[in-house]
Amino acid sequence: MKSITKLMLACAAAAMLTAPVAPLAAQDTPPAVSVNGDIKAEKAVTGADGKPAVQLVDPESFLPGDRLVFGQNFANTSAEIVTNFTITNPLPEAVRLAPDADPGLEVSVDRGKSWGRLSALSVTAADGTSRPALHADVTHVRWVLATIAPGASGRVAFPVIIR
Amino acid sequence: MKTTKQLLGAVSAFALIAMSSTPALAAGTRAGTTITNSVTVNYNVNGNAQNAVTDSDSFTVDQRVNVLVTAVSTPVQVSPNQLNRVLAFDVTNLGNATADLVLSTALRGGTAANISNIRIFRDTNGNGALDSAEQTAGAITSLDEVAEDAVVRVLVVSDISINAVNGDTFDVALTAAAHTGGTVGSLGARILATSGANTSGIDNVLFDGAGVSDAANDGAFSAQGRYAVSGAVLTVNKTSRVVSDPVNGVSPNAKAIPGATVEYCITVANAAGAATATNVALLDDLPADVTYDSGFGIFINGSATCTTGTAGGNYAPTGGVGGRARITGTLSDVAAGQTRSLYFQVTIR
Repeated sequence: MKSITKLMLACAAAAMLTAPVAPLAAQDTPPAVSVNGDIKAEKAVTGADGKPAVQLVDPESFLPGDRLVFGQNFANTSAEIVTNFTITNPLPEAVRLAPDADPGLEVSVDRGKSWGRLSALSVTAADGTSRPALHADVTHVRWVLATIAPGASGRVAFPVIIR
Repeated sequence: MKTTKQLLGAVSAFALIAMSSTPALAAGTRAGTTITNSVTVNYNVNGNAQNAVTDSDSFTVDQRVNVLVTAVSTPVQVSPNQLNRVLAFDVTNLGNATADLVLSTALRGGTAANISNIRIFRDTNGNGALDSAEQTAGAITSLDEVAEDAVVRVLVVSDISINAVNGDTFDVALTAAAHTGGTVGSLGARILATSGANTSGIDNVLFDGAGVSDAANDGAFSAQGRYAVSGAVLTVNKTSRVVSDPVNGVSPNAKAIPGATVEYCITVANAAGAATATNVALLDDLPADVTYDSGFGIFINGSATCTTGTAGGNYAPTGGVGGRARITGTLSDVAAGQTRSLYFQVTIR
């Protein structure tokens, strides 16, 4: 069983930090978008066409080494066009990005200070030496969508492995 | 863009807290750790930044129960009548939570009557030997609070009976069963698999393989070590031949008549593959109607045909049972496949 918590308090705190550009009070107007994070496991099944397929199911266990999918379902629930739509997903320390994650993902290995494809990033050690970033170094994943039309929705996801 | 940066700053603080509470171990993330998929969405409407929208989904890391037992060195050579012989084992907690491990032994091969006093000691200094301090600490039946990835060396200690013979083997299995840890000095309950669907709490998943005397996924593991008995296999043979008689002199035809000289030959043979016999002491009380020939003397460490011996041994005129004459002698070590002898001569009265 999973528990889903709506972090509205965090949302309100964020609103206070960003007050100068927030035109509306959070309590009064529903947000123009919705987002719903989930944690699923992938299960190999045989599709209706008889070919192997992958189905997302509730995980049966959460053990070190288990592979999970962190997903975000989003929708534009307003009548306005939403622009500069940015989904930011920090990775908990107890999971690492799975090696077969989409190499085109925009990731950060420095807690969101800089972003890019993993292959373009590097990690600097305490002694000043630098090495190419690995999947296990990823701290954040994000997606930036230029526009979402009214009523449009979608899902983004990435695989992780429990450390 | 300012909005995004500030939010990420807050997110980073969360991540740092998470890191300090979930050390990354080879055994994996500790059971009970909460992992949260938290998402923040920033967006603009009509070019104006809006309040961020967030959501999260959390789960609790379950307990992977996994124990490994390995025999450190096996087989161990033992001799009959040897006490406190050691089989060393390493017990590893491969799970992702601290566990108490209950230890037990079972004799899986060998004659039960010939091995006894099977106990378990903790090898505190890890040298694979039972040291006096470890023996003083006493036998144990469990290991308290074994942390993730911790390896504990324990010693299975047994006494080998004097009736064990060369070639005997004794297979002793050590089983470690995972019990709930968490309280120092207190043995928790045996960990059982959580049945049914995943729960929001810590579920137990038994991950162990099948050992020599336990099944897979039973929360226990076992391995066995072997004692191999290396005993001497001695055969003692006593023969006599008439060397001479008063009529025929020294002759193949000499007869065992009064006055004849007779040589006694005692051979000790150790079988091939056996352990070397040491301190082989021979004792022979003479019949009343023969007289020891002090002129010939006693020879020890002779060949299988009672030649090439060296002078030695001892003659006690009244040292035997009932005041009879007694011949004694101690042979040098008798290796596997070797035969040594003691021989002397007497005169028939």
